[in-house]
Amino acid sequence: MKKDIAIMADPDTVTGFMLGGIKSGFPVHNEDEAKTTLKQLVDDNYSIIITTEHIGDELREDITKYTNSTALPMIIEVPDKSGSHKRETDPMNELIKRVIGVEMVK
Amino acid sequence: MAGDKLDGVNPTRMELLNLKDRAKLSTKGHSLLKEKRDALIKEFFEILDRVQGSRDEVEKKLAIAYAELNKAQVDMGDMAVKRAALSVRESIELDISSRSIMGVSVPVVKSKATHNDLISRGYGFAGTSANLDIAAKEFEESIKIIIELGEIEKTIIMLAQEIEATKRRVNALEHVMIPRINNTISFIEMRLEEMEREQFVQLKVIKRNMDARDSE
Repeated sequence: MKKDIAIMADPDTVTGFMLGGIKSGFPVHNEDEAKTTLKQLVDDNYSIIITTEHIGDELREDITKYTNSTALPMIIEVPDKSGSHKRETDPMNELIKRVIGVEMVK
Repeated sequence: MAGDKLDGVNPTRMELLNLKDRAKLSTKGHSLLKEKRDALIKEFFEILDRVQGSRDEVEKKLAIAYAELNKAQVDMGDMAVKRAALSVRESIELDISSRSIMGVSVPVVKSKATHNDLISRGYGFAGTSANLDIAAKEFEESIKIIIELGEIEKTIIMLAQEIEATKRRVNALEHVMIPRINNTISFIEMRLEEMEREQFVQLKVIKRNMDARDSE
């Protein structure tokens, strides 16, 4: 059976999302742990993986590898407790720039 | 002759015919791909409008949720909140299908959030604070819009990749393949004309020689 949705983030964020009704919570504490957990989650066929922007930035390469060219899993990056931090390179904007050829500032 | 041409093509009439067919096919393919690219970009922009709003909404919603969670943690202590979170019942049902935009399959997520009320959420009232209830509600709502956001972002990524690939193919056809074929065609045509002239001259020479011999 296909599993549904998982949250991988720092312990507080995981607690919050589990409170919201996600049963598969995976607290991680450092980059290495996040890396192996992410691989495990992808191998386990979770279709949606929620993680924080913070972790997302650290594991940019892995996430790109897992998400590109296949419809699933979706890896969604959300802001963590400290709020949305200004990123040096927003992957979304970067992508749009590449595709359209001009930067779109909204 | 200007430009490069295809390798290993003999200047024969047969090849010329083949190449003319290929040129026709390439132009047709090129215009088709161009149409595909334009359609994808149109779709892309439509979704782009949605993603910006979604992002902001998620950020706002989550900020509230985190604040409430924080309050609950202050009220009850970290461990108690964690314990409560572990006993919360699963609230989201996912149904993931896919739809196709110009041959790109993108996911469509139908999430069914069974709205838990206080009682069905699963943790006990004793030892939990009211803030925890609010936090749980906020997170439930956040998760719903996060899933929507995920769907949109994924769609954008898939579309972007397809647009890139299509663009590359359009450009390759437009700037490399089609000129190359056209160059080769004109090369063969010139070569054939040259051969015709050569033959014509040869015939003339032979005729003159024969005439000269006759008049002797």
